[in-house]
This record gives sequence, C-alpha cells and structure tokens, in this order.
Amino acid sequence: MIPVLGLLAGLAVGLFLDPSVPVWLQPYLPIAVIAALDAVFGAIRAILDGIFNDKVFVVSFLSNVVVAAFIVFLGDQLGVGSQLSTGVVVVLGVRIFSNVASIRRHLFRA
Amino acid sequence: MTLLTTMMERPLDAGYQEAADRRVAAGLPRATSTRTVLVVVLAILTGFLFAVAAQSLRPKPTAAAAVKSELVTRIEALQERGVQQEAKVAALGKQVRDYEALALQQSGGGDLTNTIKSLEVQAAAVPLKGPGLTLTLDDAASTVADADAGNRPSGGFEEGRVTSADLQIVVNGLWGAGAEAISINGHRLSSTAAIRFAGQAIIVDFRPLARPYVITALGDAQAMQQLFEPSFAGVYLSQLTDEFKIRSILAGSDSLTVPGDSAARLEVAEPIGPPVGSSAPSLPGVQQGTSTPTRSPGSSNTGNTGSTAPPTSQERPS
Repeated sequence: MIPVLGLLAGLAVGLFLDPSVPVWLQPYLPIAVIAALDAVFGAIRAILDGIFNDKVFVVSFLSNVVVAAFIVFLGDQLGVGSQLSTGVVVVLGVRIFSNVASIRRHLFRA
Repeated sequence: MTLLTTMMERPLDAGYQEAADRRVAAGLPRATSTRTVLVVVLAILTGFLFAVAAQSLRPKPTAAAAVKSELVTRIEALQERGVQQEAKVAALGKQVRDYEALALQQSGGGDLTNTIKSLEVQAAAVPLKGPGLTLTLDDAASTVADADAGNRPSGGFEEGRVTSADLQIVVNGLWGAGAEAISINGHRLSSTAAIRFAGQAIIVDFRPLARPYVITALGDAQAMQQLFEPSFAGVYLSQLTDEFKIRSILAGSDSLTVPGDSAARLEVAEPIGPPVGSSAPSLPGVQQGTSTPTRSPGSSNTGNTGSTAPPTSQERPS
C-alpha cells in the first residue's frame, strides 16, 4: 500500500510542478515509461509469487530504463532510431502482457 | 525461437528467483518487505516519470487554441468593421447620387435623370425593391451533419453539395427567365460579378458564401416561374434534387429587396455632349445628347462600372 501511495505522490508532484523536459530528452521519455512499466509489473508479479526483492527491483528498474534509452540513442546515431524504438516497445510490451497475465492468474485464478 | 520462448515463458527477471534462493540459503524469508525506503523512493520516482512524460508528450492544446480563438476574434471584428464600412459606402453613394441629381437639375439637364436612374438599376448600383422569386438552395441532408454553416472541408468532393457551377446555371436561368436584379445571400450580382469557387467554398464577387444559398430575383414572379421551370436551368435544378438530394425551394413574393452593389465604381466615362472644338467622330446618338440613351457600352456617364453591356459571367436576356 505504501508504494502505491508513493506512486500517487510522484504522479501528483509531476502534474503539479509540470517541469519542462529538455528537447533532447523527449524522444527517450516514451521508451523510459514503457521500461518502467515493465519493471513495475515484474515487481508486482514477484510480490504475488512471494519472491520480491527490493534490490532486484531497483536494479532491474534502472537497468531497464537506461538500456532502453541507450538502445534508442544508439539507433538515433545510426539512423534507425524508430526501428529500434519499435523493437524495444515490442519486447517490453510482450513482457508486460505476460507479467499481467501471470498477475491475473494470481488474483483471479483464471 | 529460443529468444521468443524465453520472452514468452519467463518474462520475470531471473534475478528475483536467484535472490530468493540466496535469501533462503542464508536462512531469511524468501521475500523482502515492499515497504523499504528504496521501494518507496522508486515508486515516487516512477509516478513522477509517468506524470512528466504524459505532460511533456501530450500535444499542447492551449497554445494552438489561444491562437485560434484570437484569430477568430480578429476575423469577427474585421467582418463587423467591413459591414460597417459597407453601410457607410452605401450611404455615401446615395449622398453622391443625390448631389449628382441636384447638380444635373441646376445645370438644366433634368431630362437625363431618368436615364441615369435606369442605368443605375442596370448597373446594380442602387438597392431595389419589388416582387420576385426566392430560390433557396441547400446541400443534401446527408452532407450537412458533418459541416456547420460556413465550415466546409477544404478538399474532397461530395456529390450532395451545391457547387459554384450549379449556382451559375441557376442564376443564368433566372436572368434568362427575365429577372431584373439578382442577389445571392445579400450580395447583389452586378454585370461584373462572378460566381466562382475556392476549394469547396463558393465565392460570389470575391466574398465567400455559407449555405444555404438564397437567390433573390426581382421581376414578374409568375412569368419568371413559368419561364424558369421548363428551361434548361429548371430541369437541371430538378435533376440535382432528384439525383443528389440537393434541396431547393422556389417561392414567389410580392415584396423583396436586393441591396446595391457597394463595389460599383467609375470605370468608363465619356462626355455626352459634343466636345468643344472637336470634330472627332463619335456615336451620333451620344453626340446629339438626346434623351433616348443608346444601349451601347460606354455611353453612360452614370459613374458606375455598369454600362449596359451584357454581363461577362452571366448570360442576359437579349
């Protein structure tokens, strides 16, 4: 419950402060969001599996975001940024769906 | 396929399982608490990231909307000013005509007044009142739902829409049926006015029109209706209604008004009497200064674009 409150607090702060993101950082935001979502759903599944570990969560979160952003950056430098972004979104999207399916099985037994 | 299988079967980070195994080996419970500082901090960070991303990636509607509303206010203000100026032009035009009539009377040319009046009527310089027909054209009902008045799409073609060619044919038909003066949506058609299009908008005398299109034609209502309906334009109009569901209502009335064309201005002027000390050949009718005007172009000194020449864009009854 406390992490959920933290999430809501972060949302509120972000909406309230409305910080301006530098233009060069903006292409990485969608990818970072997808990567963060993946880590969050992975953590929820781990909690339900009973094997949650805070350090693993933090490391997986940060590495997900950093690696995803790096792949997009590399793609931009090589001129295939949009294709690599698509690849990242597909891979992370599949993971999110699988994790959500597992969470669903835990919660609803269906 | 290994990649796909791994991705589909084990989406969870293997790290969770390994960490759990290590903790079990060390004699600790498998899972750590979800209420550690690290987790809470990361949760706050995640929420912040979501909010910032949503805020900065959402297209900013405020800036565009502000510009649009400002443009709308400016357009409306300028339109209002245009209407005021037009009324002023009409009033000043009437004043000028009064002065002209006065000057004409004082200089003894009173017999020209009637000529000038008739020429002004033909040149669409003065507002007129009298019996006539009102023909209302509107787009087919199926195309109206997605377009408000005056809000036509800039591209594409829909067969249920009234086009400028339809209006041209109908207006020509009305002239042919004996109309003496015609206005569309309050814009008087002078002999130099053109019905054209820009994209899907209909432009009459360089002013865009919004549906419905109300064509007011002064003349003998009954005779015009009898002549118009069997004519080419009348048949064309009924076919538009039958095939494309374009709505048209033809109604006669005893008292209609058409405004004057405020854009009328002097283009050609010639002295009506013989030039002093000149023997240049000119039109005999004009030279003698008789009270019966010739119907040739350029013989009027009414100060209007008009002349009585056949209109350029509409066919007039001969």
